[in-house]
Amino acid sequence: MSAYAALTGAGYRAQVRDKTTLFFTFAFPLLFLVVFGLIFKGQAVEESGLSYLSYTAAGVLSWGVANAAVFGIAFTLMQWRSDDILRLIRMSPAPLSAVIGSRYVIALVVGAVQSLLFVGVAMLPVFGLEPASGWPLLVPVLALGVTTFLLLGVIIGSFANTPESVAAVANFLMLPMAFLSGSFFPLDSMPGWLQKVSLVMPLRYLNDAVSHALAGRGDASDVWTGCAGLLVFAVVFGAVAVKTFRWTRSS
Amino acid sequence: MSSASATTGGPPPAVRVEGVSKRYGDRLAVDGVRLEIRPGEFFGLLGPNGAGKSTLIEIMEGLRRADSGTVALFGRPPWPRDTSLLPRIGVQTQSSAFFVRQTAHEHLRTVAALYGAPRGAVDRTLEAVGLTGQRKVRVEALSGGQRQRLAIASALVHGPELIFLDEPTAALDPQARRDLWEVLRGLKAEGRTIVYTTHHLDEAEALCDRIAILVDGRIAVTDSPHNLVTASRAPSRVLLPLGLLDAERAAAVEGVERVDVQGGSLVLETHTVGQVLSAVDRISGLDGVQTRTASLEDVYLDLTSRLSGTAAAAPAPAETTEP
Ligand SMILES: Nc1ncnc2c1ncn2[C@@H]1O[C@H](COP(=O)(O)OP(=O)(O)OP(=O)(O)O)[C@@H](O)[C@H]1O
Ligand SMILES: [Mg+2]
Repeated sequence: MSAYAALTGAGYRAQVRDKTTLFFTFAFPLLFLVVFGLIFKGQAVEESGLSYLSYTAAGVLSWGVANAAVFGIAFTLMQWRSDDILRLIRMSPAPLSAVIGSRYVIALVVGAVQSLLFVGVAMLPVFGLEPASGWPLLVPVLALGVTTFLLLGVIIGSFANTPESVAAVANFLMLPMAFLSGSFFPLDSMPGWLQKVSLVMPLRYLNDAVSHALAGRGDASDVWTGCAGLLVFAVVFGAVAVKTFRWTRSS
Repeated sequence: MSSASATTGGPPPAVRVEGVSKRYGDRLAVDGVRLEIRPGEFFGLLGPNGAGKSTLIEIMEGLRRADSGTVALFGRPPWPRDTSLLPRIGVQTQSSAFFVRQTAHEHLRTVAALYGAPRGAVDRTLEAVGLTGQRKVRVEALSGGQRQRLAIASALVHGPELIFLDEPTAALDPQARRDLWEVLRGLKAEGRTIVYTTHHLDEAEALCDRIAILVDGRIAVTDSPHNLVTASRAPSRVLLPLGLLDAERAAAVEGVERVDVQGGSLVLETHTVGQVLSAVDRISGLDGVQTRTASLEDVYLDLTSRLSGTAAAAPAPAETTEP
């Protein structure tokens, strides 16, 4: 068995045996869907004419997937470092790519399950989401989103040494980003300069791409711009992650 | 000390440490250490808490970087990470590391796979450390000693040539400790090199070809346990049952240097056991008399109490080479 397969297996077992984290990973975005769905039931977003729910569903989905990717890897790396698991791996000939690669597959699977569950629930009559015709595009878009945010999580996981600091740093980045990228409220209702600020945030690109694919907002160019933006951030985060990666707490 | 660096030809030493120092803040944890360990040698690193043993071992393993000096394992530097050197090395650290929410077997299987070791090695190694009965137990549910055994198994599963063990017997019960001795002796018989730390002096005496005693980050002495005990000036003890002889008469016996009551015996310290025994025999007979020769523990205690705290005053050997 390869190092990559073994780490993926161990990661998978650790994931499914931690029922609490598992539950909240999948329940959290659904909670937002329910809350926003109930608050804005029946309302439409001005101009676009889309139902608020279909707008919100796309935003919450991209935020939920991004959030899980960031938190999952950041917590794991921090925990592995403080439990000396990274040190154990460091002393074996397994390449760093096997470590990150195994977490990547797990993050992709988590993202896929999250999305299926989320879209499934949003399509229930209570919420009434009707996926747009471009929905198959969600697959590459969300996979790219997971990649970008996983690499951001690797950076956070390399700096943070405690669960508290992972939560603090990740929330500090992800929550404002969710609001400023239009995950929860339409960007159109924000001042113009704030809309520009969102252009330097990776979540904005994931949002735009998912919004078109799932809810049919904007046009196909939103998907391609979104993917290009995510790709640029992925390359930048990847380069920083490789530079800042630490096997042990101190040397 | 051995004439280390003058080796000519032959295979490189398993471990060579030259002029290694490591500072934490204003504390010099390792101070100009020089060591050479031959392939196949069983080498013990002893010293009080905080002497720098773990720091030195981690520098040898390549897990920590020395501030100055060089380390070579089989002639190659362990830092930066060298993936072609790593399969030859096995490491057990003082704090054991396990993959969370796995069983003992799953954990060891994962470690084996990291090294590309065959699957059969997993069961064999669990057996060797006596964990076959716990193979299905989650690592979180293992007892302290069982965790330690699993950590040792993680260091051995890929059959390394050079094995670093940091206090492998610290949490083991007496039987498990003896069992591990047998495992380690078996590894030595296969020609593997073992570098390990312990606070059990009897164990070091029973296992090690050579030991180094580290005090305040410096090596106070390196030699075989046998030579250390022989060369030491530590006295032997003659233990008389209380009442056999009173303390004044015992003190008057020629060759007796000190008289003390310890644990229900009158203890006579001497460097001439034979002479003292025959004198006691003449006075009271030898019924219930026991003798204790100096052990490695006496040598160790003598050395560490003389040296600790004083090392800072002595000049540091300045052997700084490339980083
Ligand atoms: N990461 C660190 N940061 C700062 N100081 C450290 C660090 N690790 C060790 N030290 C200090 O370096 C000294 C040597 O520590 P080390 O762990 O090497 O001792 P040791 O000989 O292994 O002790 P023990 O027998 O208790 O395991 C100690 O004074 C310790 O406080
Ligand atoms: Mg130690």
